[in-house]
Amino acid sequence: MKAFAVILILLFTNAAWAAGTSTYEKGSFGKIDIDLSKRTSLQRGAKYFVNYCLSCHPAKHSRYKRVADDLGISESLTKDNIIFTEQKFGDLMTVAMKREDATKWFLGIDPPDLSTHVRAIGPQAVYEFLKTFYIDDTRPFGVNNLHLPNTAMPHVLVNLQGSQKAVFHDEADKNGKEHPVFDRFEMMHPGSLSEEEYEQVVVDIVNFLAYLSEPAQLVRKKIGIGVLFFLIVLGTLSYFLKKNYWQDVH
Amino acid sequence: MSAEAGGLLGWIDARFPLSKMWRDHFAEYYAPKNFNFWYFFGSLALLVLIIQILSGIFLTMHYKPDAELAFASVEHIMRDVNWGWLIRYMHSTGASFFFIVVYLHMFRGLMYGSFKSPRELIWIFGMLIYVALMGEAFMGYLLPWGNMSYWGAQVIINLFNTIPYIGEAISEWIRGDFVISDATLNRFFALHVIAMPLALLALVVGHILALHEVGSNNPDGVEIKETKNADGIPVDSVPFHPYYTVKDIFGAIVFLAIFSVVVFFVPDMYGYFLEHANFDPANTLNTPDHIAPIWYFTPFYTVLRAIPNPFGGFVVMGLSIAVLFFLPWIDRNPIKSIRYRSFLFKVNLFIFAVTFIVLGYLGLNAVTPLYSQLALRFTELYFLFFIVLWTYSRAHGPVYWISSFVILLGGITLYDIFMNTSEYPALIWQTWSIPAVFLVITLLLPFLTNLAQEKEVPTRVTS
Repeated sequence: MKAFAVILILLFTNAAWAAGTSTYEKGSFGKIDIDLSKRTSLQRGAKYFVNYCLSCHPAKHSRYKRVADDLGISESLTKDNIIFTEQKFGDLMTVAMKREDATKWFLGIDPPDLSTHVRAIGPQAVYEFLKTFYIDDTRPFGVNNLHLPNTAMPHVLVNLQGSQKAVFHDEADKNGKEHPVFDRFEMMHPGSLSEEEYEQVVVDIVNFLAYLSEPAQLVRKKIGIGVLFFLIVLGTLSYFLKKNYWQDVH
Repeated sequence: MSAEAGGLLGWIDARFPLSKMWRDHFAEYYAPKNFNFWYFFGSLALLVLIIQILSGIFLTMHYKPDAELAFASVEHIMRDVNWGWLIRYMHSTGASFFFIVVYLHMFRGLMYGSFKSPRELIWIFGMLIYVALMGEAFMGYLLPWGNMSYWGAQVIINLFNTIPYIGEAISEWIRGDFVISDATLNRFFALHVIAMPLALLALVVGHILALHEVGSNNPDGVEIKETKNADGIPVDSVPFHPYYTVKDIFGAIVFLAIFSVVVFFVPDMYGYFLEHANFDPANTLNTPDHIAPIWYFTPFYTVLRAIPNPFGGFVVMGLSIAVLFFLPWIDRNPIKSIRYRSFLFKVNLFIFAVTFIVLGYLGLNAVTPLYSQLALRFTELYFLFFIVLWTYSRAHGPVYWISSFVILLGGITLYDIFMNTSEYPALIWQTWSIPAVFLVITLLLPFLTNLAQEKEVPTRVTS
């Protein structure tokens, strides 16, 4: 009975707290346009991914070889530039870090596996997450995030983007209570990349993660067109076959 | 194929009724010649069943029913198994299409009175198939061991907790543990791949044997066996083979084209066929933001949530499915087809279809004060459909209609006064108008207007 009550409460209340945490307009930092036909973008994304993400976030359902084959990266290039550990070409993209350690370091949160998580939250969420880190000295890593408030993740791309400050202003809600609402970012310490260059880095990473969450995307639509073409031809033939058989039925 | 074939066939026929079965169920099974679009869904349901069994066999070769390995084995199928993604998408899309096809098949039965005498058992077999299918789908949904699999199953199994005294023992018995765990996954796998498919196949055989015993209904609801030619063959019929085999082949190909659009272009159907939260592995500590059952269960889920008392909701949800079994004895009007029934019957059936869709929509969304009142109102409409259908079984005088109206609307109003728990009185009375208007239309118009007038049923099929 207790478990049922807990679940009922969860069911009936989640909409309320979900609405209360948003301090900025979703989508106001632009929309990601996933384009898996841009192989160079996917290749760059793979490079950034193994350099900046894979040390903590595993992609344990994906194999290096599959990524290399899909993205047109040779085995030797992969071994030199993609695999940093003792792992083999055909191995799964796991992380050497013990999950218990990761959980200890990142405020009790185990960095999610990125081979499927992106499909759960959608590429737009990752895109906004990577663009909305800002300085916050009250947080353990000195940064907070607009998209995912109080995130346990440090800003791993800070050397590229630079560190920015978030400016808020107070706005009263319909009950007259004041809430901080996001206004704008101000760049405090510029990184090694310009804003446009950083945007491209984020797009490449998200593009790669979108691919990684479902590698079959690269082929399934192409195959689907062939299948549909076949079925349309077969359907047309079967229609005339049916018509022919039925012509004497009145 | 003649009755006295020689050679191999003759040898077999002397030992097994192969030619006889072929004649009884295909070549000399006479079906009405006037089947329309709605009559494709029976053979399509069989097609989807075959797709599910075949794709399921291949999934079973690679899937691991183990709480530690299940999620990874599904991703292994999606990435490492040759064509694994296609097999998996066929199976997941097939599950949703099974329900689309079955719902349309059942609606066809409602429209043309296909459940009426002498076809009551066909309907009962069909309902048993539907209930088995719901069990099959529910248990299959746990197998990927995603976070929505886990929490969805948690919520549904906990429904049994609401049964007084024995509830917790029952849900423990179902799970084989105090929480959903490896034990639950293992038994659901066994039931999903062996027990339920066996039951489904047996029930489908019963459904078709019962159908072939009495013959098919048709869009005119006319019994074709009542007008036979000199050879004893119904005049308005054609042999199932080749006429309906070629027609159903065409239907199957059109169906496969639509099916392929989903499989190849939108396999998750924007989160309706494969819920997004299910791409995260089951996490006992982290519930998804919004737990909603998969779309084909949501109409009944809304009925469950419409009643504030948990056990009450559970019972009413059970009734909403159970009432369908009794349809042949609820609608006793001798006219079968919607074509010859009254305008108000059509209104009632149309509103029922809309009600089912609205209930489904509400079940996909989080509860708000408005939605919880709408859930109650459309649950009322769901059950009122059957009561109105019962009153439409024959003609009545004004006293009958007025007293029915007063009793039903009075009952609804009393519920609102004493048992409606909404904190917004305005919402209660605004939404009260939904069943009120429905009852005015369906119970007062029959004697105020001639909209309850039925048409003459022809003796032969019309087209």
